[in-house]
Amino acid sequence: MSFDAIVRGRTSGGRLLFTTITALSLAIMYAPVLYLLLASLNPDAQLGLVPPSRYSLKWYFALLDDGRLAGALRESALVGLATAALATPIGLSAALAYRAMTRLRGVFLLVILSAMFVPGTIEGLGLSATLRVVGLAPSWVTIAIGHLLWTLPFAAVVSLIGLSAVRPSTIAAARDLGAGPIRAFVDITLPLMRTNLISSFVFAFLLSLNEQARAYYLAGRQNTLPLYMFGAMNSGASPTIYAFSGAIIVFSVAVVALVFAGLVGQQSRRPRQAPGETSY
Amino acid sequence: MPHEPGLGESVGARWRPAGFLLALPSLAVFVGVGFIPLALIATWSFWSFDPDTYWIKPAWSFASYAALLDNGRATVFLRTAGLAALTATASTLLAVPAAAVVGLLSGPRRAALLLALFTIPFFTSGLVRAFAWRLVLGRQGVINNALMSLGIVETPVEWFLFSDFAVLLGMVAAYLPFAIIPIVLAFARIEHSVIRASQDLGAGFWTLLATIVLPLVLPGIVAGFLFVFVVAVGTSMEVQLLGGAGASSISIMINDVLRVVNFPLAFAIATVVITLLTVLIIIANRALRLSRLFESLGI
Repeated sequence: MSFDAIVRGRTSGGRLLFTTITALSLAIMYAPVLYLLLASLNPDAQLGLVPPSRYSLKWYFALLDDGRLAGALRESALVGLATAALATPIGLSAALAYRAMTRLRGVFLLVILSAMFVPGTIEGLGLSATLRVVGLAPSWVTIAIGHLLWTLPFAAVVSLIGLSAVRPSTIAAARDLGAGPIRAFVDITLPLMRTNLISSFVFAFLLSLNEQARAYYLAGRQNTLPLYMFGAMNSGASPTIYAFSGAIIVFSVAVVALVFAGLVGQQSRRPRQAPGETSY
Repeated sequence: MPHEPGLGESVGARWRPAGFLLALPSLAVFVGVGFIPLALIATWSFWSFDPDTYWIKPAWSFASYAALLDNGRATVFLRTAGLAALTATASTLLAVPAAAVVGLLSGPRRAALLLALFTIPFFTSGLVRAFAWRLVLGRQGVINNALMSLGIVETPVEWFLFSDFAVLLGMVAAYLPFAIIPIVLAFARIEHSVIRASQDLGAGFWTLLATIVLPLVLPGIVAGFLFVFVVAVGTSMEVQLLGGAGASSISIMINDVLRVVNFPLAFAIATVVITLLTVLIIIANRALRLSRLFESLGI
């Protein structure tokens, strides 16, 4: 138990019960995927675990020879980068707008966040029908348009959190020294938010990379990774699909963990806010 | 000369016209990519299929809405909602203690680590996480192998996989963070002094929880339940990967209807779902002021 916990002292078994439930929650979230990862290192063609001495990346190397996979990877990377490159600045502008708003900011935030809850199938259906009427043929562009709406709420929240940590006195100092609002933003706010903007980009990229329901409706002839993977999963289990799944998971988790570590590091380097000082 | 910002007045307040301009790009995305397509399919749900173009024509009709509950579609609606409600209930029951561990029982370092662990899956492939359950629940999965080697069962238990049970488990594992995060945000809004005071007055853990903490975080709990419910209503991959033969959900039904190019019916199903979900979110927001949850992020 760490000293700073809010509830201290006797908890009459509550702590034990709650910790057990937390461990159970983490187990159902992580255990199946961990098992899949270990099973993907089994060099035999059958499912199951082997002793660590027999671990092999055989099926991972087999992925490299899969031409259709390379096409899907390229398509997903293209869509993900385009989505993230748009979602990050638009999310930042939404965060700045929220800060600058004096009225209706709650409604504005709710509107931006609402996109998170539109079922992917329905958004994909609506957007593909609309694009059909507009005359835009399905391609990586149409997928990126769909993914932009999906990733924007996350990008906006990450920017908002970063913005809330920029101290108003710092901005005020820059303004007193003669910087205009734009100069203060570029020279002070943006550098202070660097970690959050990188996080925003990475999160948007990963959300796009792993998104399936919208892409199902919006993709053209070239599948994205999840579309390709979904087909492979339903056409019978093969060791390569475990390796494919494992590679996607390891990549996503590693990238998120790096970003989280960066965010935490930034948090601990930041000077504590003076008492009574409001956030900018 | 710029005036000094006073207490409760943010520096940004000076940028009032800028606030609107800065909101434009995100609102354009919301309207152009979100609102207009949904409004269009709501309109088109009253049009008719055009066999000449394999698309729709503006011949107004209620036929799609009349067909909404035919061919067992009512059952699919009810089953989807039922399974989503069950998922939301199970997720909330796990999320309240987990959020309490993050928000009340841990120091800042462990709280941050746990929160990271609960957030990471958001950004990983839902497809892979659902698929992984096949290896755990299948005939030759981990659980059946363990049960058989312990001699508890002699033949593999069949209902673990390709069943509602598997779908429920897959959805709870996938959407649990949607329940935990609003509750953690609600915990962060509790004044520590209130907890200290109640402990000083002799309240034990359970009294503290029942009389102080739970009433204060109730909006977060309801929000968490609602978020999981809404996401679970809209998903299809868990049902497709883990559900039994013939298992369906609203999203799968939309795909099926589109396969026979019945566009107006697909649009009608989508419209009904979106309308119900919107009403649900608006009611909850009225009752609980959901946007306040974000105040604890300091935003």
